[in-house]
Amino acid sequence: MNYAMALDYQNCINCKACETACKEENGVQLGAHKQRIWVGIVEGSIFGKPFVNLYPSQCNHCIDAPCVSVCPTNASYYAPGGIVKVDARKCILCKACMEACPYDARFVDDTKVAVDKCTFCDHRIEKYGTTACQETCPTKVRLFGDLDDEESDLVKLLKTKRFFVQKERSNTLPKLFYIVPDDEAYLRQSVSRDTTIYTWESFKPIYDRASRKRS
Amino acid sequence: MKTYEFAGLEIRVDIFNLLFNKTMIIAYMLIALAGVGIYEIFELRYFSPAINAHSAGLDPTNPGLKEAMKLAVFGTVGEVSREVPWTLFIANYMYMIYTGSGVIFLVALAELMKFKVVEKAAAGFMALGLAMVFAGLFTIATDLNMLNMHWMLLDPNIFAGIWLMLPLYLVYIPFVLFEIYLILTKKRELARRLALPILIMSIGVDLVEYYIQARLFSMNTARHLWTEFPLLTLYFIISAFVASLGIMGVYSYLVHRKKPEYAHIMDLIRKGILFFISVLALYEIVAYLVVDKEWAFLILFGPFKYLYFLGYILLAMVLPFFLVFRPTKSYWKIVLASIFTIVGGYAGRYLFVYGGNANPMSNRFGVGYEKYDLYDIASTFNYAHPHLGEIFIVIGSIGIVLAVYKIFDSLFDIARLRDSH
Repeated sequence: MNYAMALDYQNCINCKACETACKEENGVQLGAHKQRIWVGIVEGSIFGKPFVNLYPSQCNHCIDAPCVSVCPTNASYYAPGGIVKVDARKCILCKACMEACPYDARFVDDTKVAVDKCTFCDHRIEKYGTTACQETCPTKVRLFGDLDDEESDLVKLLKTKRFFVQKERSNTLPKLFYIVPDDEAYLRQSVSRDTTIYTWESFKPIYDRASRKRS
Repeated sequence: MKTYEFAGLEIRVDIFNLLFNKTMIIAYMLIALAGVGIYEIFELRYFSPAINAHSAGLDPTNPGLKEAMKLAVFGTVGEVSREVPWTLFIANYMYMIYTGSGVIFLVALAELMKFKVVEKAAAGFMALGLAMVFAGLFTIATDLNMLNMHWMLLDPNIFAGIWLMLPLYLVYIPFVLFEIYLILTKKRELARRLALPILIMSIGVDLVEYYIQARLFSMNTARHLWTEFPLLTLYFIISAFVASLGIMGVYSYLVHRKKPEYAHIMDLIRKGILFFISVLALYEIVAYLVVDKEWAFLILFGPFKYLYFLGYILLAMVLPFFLVFRPTKSYWKIVLASIFTIVGGYAGRYLFVYGGNANPMSNRFGVGYEKYDLYDIASTFNYAHPHLGEIFIVIGSIGIVLAVYKIFDSLFDIARLRDSH
């Protein structure tokens, strides 16, 4: 099992239902800046024509997660399904994982005096098969699934679409896959040409190599 | 005064003088300030109503609680911001540990190179260096959640830079104490026989120490200032030496100025400052040609430029260079240069820590910064002011330096220049 998520970010309407559902489901600390998931907003204009791109985001549950390697007490660890989790009891609040994360996906939960982050709602996978954020999204931006299962909806989607990941040069092998919009011009509004666009065939060997290395 | 001898070590015992002298009184005042800082930080960390907002159910009419809830929903809550996790605590830890180790390292090098006058003053310098190491550890202890520290032993990740600190200091501190012991008991046969191997080993331990410190930063692959700064271990050593020589200069002025060896010590310190600030200046020029431009621009031309050029380059390098360039009998110039390198060195550490976080991680797809919230503006520069409690703790850490050093001095008379034979 290797859980991941695809995001058809073009469909995001910034309703923040996912953020709210996450807070509710996981009892995340109160506060606008205390969030396990968020909608990133990129605004700009091209030749005077304004645009807004929305990038729903959260922890990438990287295959080679730097936050896990830097943790001195193994408080950050890989849970079954390749989910990167934090054991709050063991966290000494050195904040090295927050420094190591290229996605700003971690924050300090002051109620636990420990670092907190997305868990892919692993407590509800068995019963409901998906995360709270996916379940609540009205425009079906997110699709949660198992990368190891060729029959999963996630892999089926990735086989038919092109996608990209965040900060691939950090070599963390993130598992949030952003689906390339049908309109190339929309894509290029806020994605640089340096960003690699993958297909399932080009991505699979990289993923297999990394998974073998970790196991 | 009553003295005891233990394992060849002369120990002066005068409890009143040990605890109540001018230096200790100043130290107590500074440590008391640290106490206030710890109270402030712990209140923020463990007892803030904004954090314990669930208690709203107990007394929903409490106006203080209403404000706390408002802060929790709309403002920034808690001690640590998401974008700038490492702050003044880390800057002070780095400064104290690196500079203190630098003093110890320099003394070991000088002994190896047979600088007799440094050998004579070695015990005092080393005790001062060790006192700074303790002050660094004190700072970091207040930053961490000590309630969970036992997991460092129960479930260690032995490849993590932070975990490596644990065995490092368990070896380093006793090792330096043993070195001081050898210096204080130099006339003994055992001490004389062990002196050279211990000296060589101590240089090895110092190098390992700086390597582990560099690993601590270079493991954070997302922060390119830390990962792309060339030969980080060497940079830490050179920049530490500059501040260490400053500390040695001020210390020599305070402790040795009336002794005949003062002129010789100050002349050596002058040469040392001149050499290492020249190397550091070259390093700075080369380093920022190599470092990721998004970080380099923020420091050289962005919001950090005044701190970099006026706080760091001017104080740590330019002014001391002009003050110590020519040999001089006006030792106040060397003392002034020392003070500049101490302050400038601190600015350098501050810049290094805050600079690593300065470029937001939200530039995810290479064409601009995201904002996290509909009502925010996209941040192109990260900075979070240190809390007042943090500042108090940092000032208090100077009290730790004074107290540890003075206890050593009261017990073992380490400020005395000793002949080495």
